[in-house]
Amino acid sequence: MKNTLIILAIILVFIVLYFLQVNFFNWFNISGIQPNLYVILILFLGLFAGKRVGIPMGIFLGICLDFFTSKKIGISGIMLGAIGAMGGILDKNFSKDSRITIILMTIVATATFEIGSYILNAIIVSINVEIIPFIKILCIEILYNVILTIILYPLLQKVGYYIEESFRGSKILTRYF
Amino acid sequence: MYKKKTGLVGIIITILILVILVFISNMNVENLSHIENVISTVVMPIQNGITYLKNKITGNNTFFADISKLQQENEELKQRNSELEANLRELEIVKAENTTLKEYLDLSEQYGNYKTKAAYIISKDISNYSNVFVINVGKNDGIENNMTVISEKGLVGYIISTTDTTAKVQTIIDTASTVSATLSTSRDNLICKGTLEESGMLKATYIPTNANLIQGDILETSGMGGIYPKGIKIGTVKTIQNSSNIVDRSAIIEPAVDFDKVETVLVITE
Repeated sequence: MKNTLIILAIILVFIVLYFLQVNFFNWFNISGIQPNLYVILILFLGLFAGKRVGIPMGIFLGICLDFFTSKKIGISGIMLGAIGAMGGILDKNFSKDSRITIILMTIVATATFEIGSYILNAIIVSINVEIIPFIKILCIEILYNVILTIILYPLLQKVGYYIEESFRGSKILTRYF
Repeated sequence: MYKKKTGLVGIIITILILVILVFISNMNVENLSHIENVISTVVMPIQNGITYLKNKITGNNTFFADISKLQQENEELKQRNSELEANLRELEIVKAENTTLKEYLDLSEQYGNYKTKAAYIISKDISNYSNVFVINVGKNDGIENNMTVISEKGLVGYIISTTDTTAKVQTIIDTASTVSATLSTSRDNLICKGTLEESGMLKATYIPTNANLIQGDILETSGMGGIYPKGIKIGTVKTIQNSSNIVDRSAIIEPAVDFDKVETVLVITE
């Protein structure tokens, strides 16, 4: 029951983020570049709830996103699913209590999502591939995501541990001792 | 406790940095009137205070003598002001309605040869690498895939998918978009593609070697390609990018439509 409520809350957060992206960040941008809040959301979900939750939620929310605005259904689904898996893998190898580690994870996740989406779009939709302008936009987007992660980190950590406890139970990880 | 405080300070500093970044990156360097505003905001109250003191000392404060009369006058003015504000709000609503209706009328008159369906943009793509938006008409309104979408200024894009009540439009500035264009003066044909190089612009390629391309030239659809009808304005030549090989030259095209501001569009149904 508690887990179902958490999943519903995440879907609600996703809808709020959608409206934020479409309305607020469309105006509050850096040189016309918006952040990608979904990458942050799914990365944290993978980190705290594990890849068993991160992957399906990433795929589901990504497909919803594709239905809302994207050209082809599935690209965001695949990539957000991959970010969910990445969150689970990173959790096993790195500590999520360090702000620096979280920032590095955000950089890697944002770059993975955007590069993956760009390659898939180039293959499926035949977009005009422009590497240098793409890298410029990606760098600004990563910077924006990192800034937002720094700002939201305390909140995400607090909510994250609550989700972790609910999905995984309070486990003492022996590898820290 | 110390760590908590420093964490909070860090977050506040980061928020400030983000706000400064957003404002600086979107600031128009040529427009410095806001700096003037800041200076006047700081200086004017001091200036007013000094002038008031000066008037008081020199005996020019007789205006403030009859306070009760002034209070009554002030009340009347406040009442009048609230009435005027209410009228103004009503007028603004009427003005907005009028603008929308005028836009629809202009659009229908301009493209009278085509059977069209007016629509509103209800959602925009959140990606930084593509430019797709959703309009409030769909299959129920007779909208189908590959139909051309225009605005009063010119070409917008075409329909890529539809639901019963909505449709997705791939704009001409999307990186997956390609439009066959004709120069309105020399009638030379070229290809316009969406580009990431300059936000909101198009890139013209495959320019014929003998084509005389001039800054400010108008481009319109050539009618080739099977999606866009002939003669719809695409935009104007902004800059010409010459290379050592004339075959490789390209141009940046400024679309006729401002994609950041467009709200109303027309879908050509026939």
